[in-house]
Amino acid sequence: MDCIVTIDIGTTKVKVSAFDQAANLIGWRQGTYPTFHPQPNYSEQDPEQIFLTVLYALKSLLNDELTKKHKPVALVFGASMHSVLPIDKQGVPLRNAVIWADNRGRDEANALKNSDECRLIYEQTGTPVHPMSPLIKIRWFRTHTPATWFEKVYKFISIKEYIIYQLTGQLVVDQSIASSTGLFNIHTHQWEERALNYAGIQPHQLSELVPIDYSELKLKKEYVRLFRLTSAAKLIIGASDGCFATLGAGVVTEGDATITIGSSGAMRVAGKQVIKDPKQRFFNYLLNEGTYISGGPTNNGGVVFEWFVQQFGASGIHLDLEYTVNQLLIEAERVPAGAGGMLFLPYLLGERAPLWNANARGAYIGVNITHERRHFIRATVEGIIYEMHSIGKLLQQYRSIQNLYINGTYATLPLFAQVLSDVFGKKVYVNDKHDSASAGAALLALTHLGVYPDLEAAAKTIRSVESYQPNPVNHERYARFTEIFDRLSQKLAEDFDALVALQ
Amino acid sequence: MSLLNWPIFSMTEFRHIKELIRLKNPTVRLDEWPVRVRGGLQIVCILEGKFEWLIEHQRHVLYPNDVVVLCPWHGYGSPTNTLEIGSLAWLTIEPASFEPSKELFLGEWSAIAEAEQKLMGRLFMTQAPMVLNNFKWVCDLLQRIETEVKQAEFAYQTRVNQLLDELLVTIVRQLSQQQNQRRDFPQAFAQLEQLLRNSLDHPWTVEEMAAVVGLGSTAFTEKVKSFSGFSPLNYLINIRIAEAMKQLRQTAKSLTDIALDTGFYSSQHFSTTFKKLTGYTPGQFRKRGTQ
Repeated sequence: MDCIVTIDIGTTKVKVSAFDQAANLIGWRQGTYPTFHPQPNYSEQDPEQIFLTVLYALKSLLNDELTKKHKPVALVFGASMHSVLPIDKQGVPLRNAVIWADNRGRDEANALKNSDECRLIYEQTGTPVHPMSPLIKIRWFRTHTPATWFEKVYKFISIKEYIIYQLTGQLVVDQSIASSTGLFNIHTHQWEERALNYAGIQPHQLSELVPIDYSELKLKKEYVRLFRLTSAAKLIIGASDGCFATLGAGVVTEGDATITIGSSGAMRVAGKQVIKDPKQRFFNYLLNEGTYISGGPTNNGGVVFEWFVQQFGASGIHLDLEYTVNQLLIEAERVPAGAGGMLFLPYLLGERAPLWNANARGAYIGVNITHERRHFIRATVEGIIYEMHSIGKLLQQYRSIQNLYINGTYATLPLFAQVLSDVFGKKVYVNDKHDSASAGAALLALTHLGVYPDLEAAAKTIRSVESYQPNPVNHERYARFTEIFDRLSQKLAEDFDALVALQ
Repeated sequence: MSLLNWPIFSMTEFRHIKELIRLKNPTVRLDEWPVRVRGGLQIVCILEGKFEWLIEHQRHVLYPNDVVVLCPWHGYGSPTNTLEIGSLAWLTIEPASFEPSKELFLGEWSAIAEAEQKLMGRLFMTQAPMVLNNFKWVCDLLQRIETEVKQAEFAYQTRVNQLLDELLVTIVRQLSQQQNQRRDFPQAFAQLEQLLRNSLDHPWTVEEMAAVVGLGSTAFTEKVKSFSGFSPLNYLINIRIAEAMKQLRQTAKSLTDIALDTGFYSSQHFSTTFKKLTGYTPGQFRKRGTQ
């Protein structure tokens, strides 16, 4: 039997998975790598270490017993968006890769924000102007490095392009990853001149654009040997992890939405049209030609709950986060919806959608003398979900949403899932494919190999295994909280600024 | 007379103990406590009162039972040169060798294994000066050492040396535990990773790595595997080869130098490992990058 191998190059780890012809997961390996913070606003990764980790995970999966029974016929790549790696003519990295979480371009982003130029760039590229965007990062390099260094840069590529370059010697970028750079025109599917001018580069300083099912990549013979593949195995370039996660959740047409809460979070919808938000709050990335994945990312997902657990979780339990998380959630379940009238703003890491305010900060509000620790736990969970709802509320101004498909470590915890359902007042589904980014990659490969006629048909094969019904009483109560929540998030902006000045 | 020269006991029997001092200060003394490097591996316990000090340029407020651990090259003192009211005790050990570029060797008196002394030195080097909050145990140990010295009973020299070892071991254990308290494993692991990168050429063992995180080696190996996907040694090799890849393409260093710098004991061992992991020999890889 044949199998598909997906390679998902994420922020903290690479996950390599094998799927059978029916897109069932049959095996996986993973390897982690660190993020360096040489200065407070910097987030960087070592491209060589990521490459080695990819090799290690791939080798260990492909040299396994499993591949004796299942012959790998295609390898397909997914990856985090927004990374920037400058390389020289020999393809050697000139420094570490700058990843999405890096905020060094804050001043550049603020200077561009609210200008006509900003609006035009956003309308053409679909990527909100923010330090995460490669547009801003390259501009930062342009203004903060000596001209002699900048001239040495042969191309600005992403981590995914570097890995593929190492494996094949080819410098190409899929349109999906390209559509998250702020440099790519999502309507014409070409590099956008206006954005390139702003960044200060020429089109030849970026990789050649190819569609996500591009399979003209040729693995170097050393790696064919190392992985024990046959030269017939195809390499498919693939898309970004966000787009794959939406496809892998079964959402590629209008009507449904996905909610992901891992360490950060996002709410996404799919459609044939871009969402034109005059306030530039939503991204519009390309899954493939004709399908846009639109939505909003939040910084404050599971990482906020983990912060709470580390600060206020039961002490004495050593290094076991998962155990403590579960203990706290049991406590929180005993508190009725609304945490006794306490409300939490989860902006510990500033916020992207929908506020796009790096200075937003957290707050517990409405605390009274009867509140106990369990109320704070409940309020923390609810606050993270109110924030997701504030993205969802705006999205629904543009799209009708019937069902919610959830994924990510935190969203799928029962308490989170039920609160999501109650707050949104919608049915919430958990799919059989837990890792929807890898599942999405497998669906693309299987479509490319002719197993499914198109991505829409492929997405229909995703099944839900669990669902949560909204409790109408809780929904009504939560509606009053989300109203206050949205009001406070706006109202406190001035005080957030004043507090940040003191931090 | 400066307060700083008040050793309570003559230490001729213990050449490795530079000072053992208990200081009760009933009045504020101006100009008696400037910031300076005092030398030796120093352990300071606050017994009474509240002290505001600059320790390696960082301001700390210290309360009773706080313990400060300093390397020989660290400076501390009051930002206003003032010794506040209160009492403190400190012990200064003179290691046979310990410098920022030299590994720690306490001396023949210590029963701690040499490899563990080195590890201790690396931990101190990367994490000191450190303030261990509310660590009364160390203060009690200092008291016991003092009593032993004062009473000079049967075999007290042996007992003092044992207590010194116990003191150091206690501090190292507390250190890795305090580092990890209320933290999840990924954070502890990130810290270890930093330490590995800072001394890639050291022949790390799993036991050493586990000690840094404050776990036993079996639990440590299991945790690392489930978290990182690698065994501890494979993870280390991964970092080594990533560093070697960089050096191969960005420097003109010889293969042997790169091998030794990144912790391989020979260029042969380096080449085999490199090829096994990357599919290329180091030489092929270097050529490929400069084509």
